[in-house]
Amino acid sequence: MNRNFVFSSESVTEGHPDKLCDQVADAVLDRFLQQDPFSRVVTDCAVAKGILFIASRYASRASVDVPDTARQVISQIGYEGEDFNARTCTVMTSIGELADRSQPAVDESVLDNQGIERMTARNMANVFGYACTQTPAMMPLPIWLARKLARRLASVRRQRSFSYLAPDGKTQVGIEYRDREPVRIHSITLIASQVRGQNISPDRMREDLYEAVVRPTFIDEAIAPDGKTSFHLNPEGPFLVGGPSLHSGLTGRKNAVDTYGEYSRHGESALSGKDPSRIDRVGAYAARYAAKNVVAAGLATECEVQLTYAIGQSHPVGLQLETRGTGSMSDDEIAARVLRVFDFRPAAIIRDLGLRHLPNRTKGGLYRRLAAAGHVGRLDIGLPWERIDRAAVLRDS
Amino acid sequence: MNILSEFLVDRSVSPTASRNGASADQDAAVTVMHAAVRGRVRVNVSGLRNSERMKRAIEVMLTGHTWVRSASASPITGNVLILFDANKELALVIAEVAAIVRHAHTSLPATEISAARKPARPARAATARIEPALPSTPWHRMEVNEVGLLLNSSLTLGLAEHAARLALERFGPNTLPKPAPRSSLSILLGQFNSLPVLLLGASAVLSAATGGMADAVVILGVVLLNAGIGFVTEREAERTIESLMSHSQPVALVMRDGRVREVHGDSLVPGDVLTLSPGTYVPADARLIQVRELTIDESALTGESIPVRKSPEPRLGADVTLGERTNMVYMGTVVTGGSGLAMVVATGAATELGMIQALVGQARPPETPMQRQLDRLGTQMVWLSGGICMLVFGIGLLRGYGFLQMLRAAVSLAVAAVPEGLPTVATTTLSLGIRSMRRHNVLVRRLDAVETLGSVQVICLDKTGTLTINRMSVLALQADLEPIKVNQAGLYGEGGRIDPYARDGVLRLLHVAVLCNETQLSRHRDAYVLNGSATETALVQLAIDCGISVNGLRQHYRLDTVEYRAEHRNYMSTLHLTEDGHRLLAVKGAPAEVLGLCRWHMKDGVRHVLTEQERARVLEENARMAGHALRVLGFAYAEGACSEDPITYDLTWLGLAGLADPIRSGVKELIGLFHQAGIRTVMITGDQSATAYAIGKELGLNGNGQLDILDSMHLESTDPEVLSAVAQKVHIFSRVSPANKLEVVQALQHAGLVVAMTGDGINDGPALRAADIGVAMGSAGTDVAREVADVILEDDELGTMILAVSEGRTIYNNIRKSIHYLTATNLSEIAVMLSSISLGMGQPLNTMQLLWINLVTDVLPALALAVEPPEPDVLRQPPRDPSEPIIRKQDLMRFGSESLVLTAGTLAAYVYGIARYGIGPHAGTLAFTTLSVSQLLHAYSCRSDTHGVFSKERLPPNRYLNLALGGSLALQAGTLFVSGLRGLLGLVPPSPLDLAVIATGASAPFLINEATKTLRSKRRHALTSTPSIATSAAKREGNRTKEARG
Repeated sequence: MNRNFVFSSESVTEGHPDKLCDQVADAVLDRFLQQDPFSRVVTDCAVAKGILFIASRYASRASVDVPDTARQVISQIGYEGEDFNARTCTVMTSIGELADRSQPAVDESVLDNQGIERMTARNMANVFGYACTQTPAMMPLPIWLARKLARRLASVRRQRSFSYLAPDGKTQVGIEYRDREPVRIHSITLIASQVRGQNISPDRMREDLYEAVVRPTFIDEAIAPDGKTSFHLNPEGPFLVGGPSLHSGLTGRKNAVDTYGEYSRHGESALSGKDPSRIDRVGAYAARYAAKNVVAAGLATECEVQLTYAIGQSHPVGLQLETRGTGSMSDDEIAARVLRVFDFRPAAIIRDLGLRHLPNRTKGGLYRRLAAAGHVGRLDIGLPWERIDRAAVLRDS
Repeated sequence: MNILSEFLVDRSVSPTASRNGASADQDAAVTVMHAAVRGRVRVNVSGLRNSERMKRAIEVMLTGHTWVRSASASPITGNVLILFDANKELALVIAEVAAIVRHAHTSLPATEISAARKPARPARAATARIEPALPSTPWHRMEVNEVGLLLNSSLTLGLAEHAARLALERFGPNTLPKPAPRSSLSILLGQFNSLPVLLLGASAVLSAATGGMADAVVILGVVLLNAGIGFVTEREAERTIESLMSHSQPVALVMRDGRVREVHGDSLVPGDVLTLSPGTYVPADARLIQVRELTIDESALTGESIPVRKSPEPRLGADVTLGERTNMVYMGTVVTGGSGLAMVVATGAATELGMIQALVGQARPPETPMQRQLDRLGTQMVWLSGGICMLVFGIGLLRGYGFLQMLRAAVSLAVAAVPEGLPTVATTTLSLGIRSMRRHNVLVRRLDAVETLGSVQVICLDKTGTLTINRMSVLALQADLEPIKVNQAGLYGEGGRIDPYARDGVLRLLHVAVLCNETQLSRHRDAYVLNGSATETALVQLAIDCGISVNGLRQHYRLDTVEYRAEHRNYMSTLHLTEDGHRLLAVKGAPAEVLGLCRWHMKDGVRHVLTEQERARVLEENARMAGHALRVLGFAYAEGACSEDPITYDLTWLGLAGLADPIRSGVKELIGLFHQAGIRTVMITGDQSATAYAIGKELGLNGNGQLDILDSMHLESTDPEVLSAVAQKVHIFSRVSPANKLEVVQALQHAGLVVAMTGDGINDGPALRAADIGVAMGSAGTDVAREVADVILEDDELGTMILAVSEGRTIYNNIRKSIHYLTATNLSEIAVMLSSISLGMGQPLNTMQLLWINLVTDVLPALALAVEPPEPDVLRQPPRDPSEPIIRKQDLMRFGSESLVLTAGTLAAYVYGIARYGIGPHAGTLAFTTLSVSQLLHAYSCRSDTHGVFSKERLPPNRYLNLALGGSLALQAGTLFVSGLRGLLGLVPPSPLDLAVIATGASAPFLINEATKTLRSKRRHALTSTPSIATSAAKREGNRTKEARG
């Protein structure tokens, strides 16, 4: 295995069309779960040519104004320009009610072991969870920094520090590794869209971006840009308008941004827009929960957990655990411990992580906030799967 | 309003241009071209060339003045011809034009001006987008006293009487220009404008020239008869429409010289101070001066059925839509509550309503294809029969017949063979259709609309007023924690019907609903008139329906103070005092908040503490009602204590009321019928998408699949290509402003669909006109909607629409049947003549015989076929493919083969005649009679493409056809047995054997044709080739594109 390398991860701001679609899908989910925690919802979203397409299938007692939810998201993200804004954009919703009541709404928190056993996976899925010691959040450094830059960029725009900034933006951070440890920042790329009609010189904008976005990001970071770090701030010149009027967006196209920035593997299916009964979503959270606790327990400095689910079975049919040689014991032994400590059955995941009631317990809804800035490795909201409460049990079992 | 502002803001355009001046020197934009005649001037306007918008602006604005008789602007030459009152100064006219032009130049966006210089792009007639109206003076952005200053009027005293007179002269009466109805002459001339009719005329002339006066007279008679029938029916229809227009002249209360006066609505002028009172129409556009709880129903203008609360404050920003201009009131809207004073800022054509009416003129309906097709078919038949007649003529000459004899024979053959009945049959059938629909209270405004009705593929339904009854009603209650359903018949709880007087909880709820309520109640004749907000009125209405004496209750509990709902206080409360010093606090508002104030609830007349479970039950019911798109209110009360702030009370919870604009009865079933008939239904609503979804689901708009909703307030900014692509899937367009209905219709049409659209608001005009079938409601609709609609449902029942569709389809089928009959029989006449002359068997039919066949056998059965009753499965079939010609190639092939069978029968009889009697009148009599009778029998064959004498399912009987055939057969017998008639036609009496031959020669073709029909229809069933809408739409779109290019 190559131990010295450069690895880069990208992230996008919440105004990026793909991310916008993720957020709309999850905002709809939040609304449903807030009214009826046992809703079954699948929402997909696409945006093109200023039209937002939302397909939502659900079985729920809740009544949700889907276009209204979408407009709120667009408005909160800050699209105000003529090309695309919350008020005038067209929203096409395709709403279907799920007739399939084969698995009626049940409260997983009151099920006994047999009840949980009966709640089988309804999708085939390979889900991945990863954790490492590169950052306090136990995330790989490239995605951690890329996300941080993106959030900084978005908040600078939201605070209207620079009136010319538009919501769409993209960041990329390249990290140089030596012996699989991050040692320096190789390169930073920042692409920030700007609104129409404000003539701002590219140099001025680069300076603003560096001072307001890049520099503050690294204040509390162990590794900061050095003299040789190359910066690419809007390298191709002004990026006018950006957003859905320029390029299209689709739910589930930013899975790497949502997870580990491709530093580890990640699942192919979208995370956003799916209610907790979808194992392809919550499985990923459970896998992260397990991986993070393994690292927190000191059993390894990095750990990737992969679970495979099959339709009709409640336990995952496969579990792979990979520590890339950093484990304090064999991967098989760690995997055995993980299986003893964690219950990966779908209903058990929902119960243990309290997934149905999170939107009600988190201000402004939970899932939308996941979609905006990453589903794992978040320190800003208390996510159940970021807890390291099982580390001690793992170490001692 | 633009002219007005020009004049007031900038008085530099003074009417001083000299009569003979070649140019108006104040403004180089207007040049006088010709002004020699008094009251008539031609001016050249720079910027008018290639600008349709400028043309409209000039025409609309100018004709808004009484002293302008007509104004026509040509975007091609850039000239405007104005006819005006000869007493008026020419200079005034020119100043007026100059003002309009300058305003248009400053208000039109730069792109429009530059575009005007380029040659205009050819717009497609069917889908031309409407350009927005000229922006009007932003009165809503001014302070009230600014408005007064501008209009030289006083906010307190109003206009001076003489100033009002002067203004009336300048601005003209406050009336909307009525679209001119079609003149009788144009209807009459329209009757002669078809090729077969012209050819008939030409052949009449030829007949007269060659000595066939009788033929000429007969031919002319046929032509005139056709025209007469068409003229009478079309004019009748036009008259009925005109009679529908209401010409009410409302009066208005205005302030003149400081006194309140009642004046006619049409004599209002800008500057008048207007008093607004509930239940009256707003007679002109006006800026509010002061109000007291004024609410206005602007649905005629904006389609929004919930009244808008108005106030003179604040000054509004630039970018507010018509519906958001809360400091303005508009002509045509209705005061639903409160009162107010307002200053008139625009009258007549300059009002928003007038602008919209002017806009309506722009959208042109796509032409229905049948008239075009019939013309084309007629022309083809003319060429075909003309060619064959030439051929007969040539062969006859070669065979050695005399020139004149052959010319006359050829001409009579042409007359006989040209299906001149074709336009007549179509016109008559369509007008009969109009009559018959009239009996079902469906008024059809255009002849071809009948035919389009049959091909409708999508119907766009306006939610408010069409699907719903356009009145908020209480549909559900929760009292004593029990859910109660409300309908016209009464209240129904879990245990059945509820008598509100037997249930204390229900009664208390209703009492509080009435008391905490500002609805004004007055008696008008036998009915109560309620004035108030839609929600509160509904609550009072429910109380009245339950038998509660509202006035008595309010007298007993005298209103002391009212606390309105505020920003963070989503409930209102009223404090009431009784004679004996008793106090009652009534509270109504958002259920969760009201519930939060409550500590108690009533159960069977006893006060209990509200438990957590009971609170949860209330909230659950609240959520359930909201999920059914109901607007939910909670009610509570307290007695005895002194404060008027509900927070200090421990309120007693009463229950919930859920309100909505209820769906009309029978609409759901109707939607099902539309779907069964293969017609897609699309709902257009201004509602939020959640409400729209609940209604769409209840109505079953989606059939069984998912429900697709397009939610947009600005459809006009959506890419038309994209809109057209998605529109084909959409079941509901939500949050759509009425003006955007046009975009919906055009998007669907762009996808190649035949679109019907219902509407009754003023703003629906452009969409109604653009739709292939615009449907307006008779009594609920506005004049504009009725004027532009193709179909008016007089009883306001959408259900009759399905009858209209059935009728439309039947009529189309019947016209096909008539054409089928006419074509097949005419071809057989030609074939008989052609074959016998070319075979050297003489001329079987003489001129008079040909005309007889033409008159007797052609017209009557064809007319009778046109009134066939509907075939049994007409509403179970998908709509016909609109791209498919009325007569397809395979139809023509079949008509041809049928005519050959008919010809064979006649020729067989003729050959028998020649063999027995030789060439001459005897053989001719056999041929003539056989052909006539076989043609009459063929009429039965034409009754259906699928059902025949050999098929199992019987068609419903057609009395008219039986009568026509009976009569015709009797006449035919007359030719043989009445000697005078026989002599005129050159016939001889037949022998019994001849009669037997005639009978065989006539009935054998009938049986053969019926047998082949049964076989064919079986084969077709096996293939079941119904073209899908998608492919037909693609084809139709192709055709449209071709037409556009052509």
